[in-house]
Amino acid sequence: MSDREMISCEQAVERVYEFLDGELDAETMEQVREHIEVCKRCYPYFNFERIFLDHIRSKGLRSERSERLEARIRDALSDL
Amino acid sequence: MTDRDDVGQEREKKAEFEAEALVHVDSLYGLALRLTGGDASRAEDLVQEALLKAYRAWEDFQLGTNCRAWLMTILRNTFINDFRRQQRRPQTVDFEDVADRSVFAEVKDLDPAGEFFDRIIGEEVINAIDELPDEFRIAVVLSDLEGLSYQEVAEIMEIPVGTVKSRLFRARKRLQGRLYAYAREMGYIS
Repeated sequence: MSDREMISCEQAVERVYEFLDGELDAETMEQVREHIEVCKRCYPYFNFERIFLDHIRSKGLRSERSERLEARIRDALSDL
Repeated sequence: MTDRDDVGQEREKKAEFEAEALVHVDSLYGLALRLTGGDASRAEDLVQEALLKAYRAWEDFQLGTNCRAWLMTILRNTFINDFRRQQRRPQTVDFEDVADRSVFAEVKDLDPAGEFFDRIIGEEVINAIDELPDEFRIAVVLSDLEGLSYQEVAEIMEIPVGTVKSRLFRARKRLQGRLYAYAREMGYIS
């Protein structure tokens, strides 16, 4: 661990999504990482939120088949 | 150039467009459905509008680059422009029902690794996303489903990055709360 000052649980928790989204600057990213590595309370929370986001991301977007739509678009194209 | 050349060229363009672009219609429709909150008729219109725009701009598309990404961007921009136009007044997003109580606090002793999420079917996740208020849903779709950065979402939605953050935060908490309630109802967690 570096000699960087440790951030508090509160400071870590309020950055949870920015951390998981990779939206913090390198310095803050590292501070949060160092905190959750050693914090018994924060680590499970961050882990839970990460699992939740993975879940949304993997199940939220899917292709949808619509025969009607494809036929409609082919019609529209042939009118051009 | 003769008319016959024009016809031949047009036919060639159409064939190329069908092979390169039309094959992505299912992905486009999937994205359109999530952006519109599951409104099939709006989503179909949106895909058609985006694909016709793409066809008109087909000369600008470089073959060999990512056609799907190009089409997704056109669709997204088309949706956002319509969305903005339809918004006569700024939408008042209801912030009241967002419980601060984290789902994690509820499950940390029983299921700290959120195993109940694995049992929730995709359909339920999609319903939960579709039910979010427009402003929240769009932020989640762009960020979580399309993987755009906060800055990109801010530019597309024409809102400050701070607003993207707070919308994402609230939207995700809502989704989490809804999925947790569903998991309890189904007995995936007691």
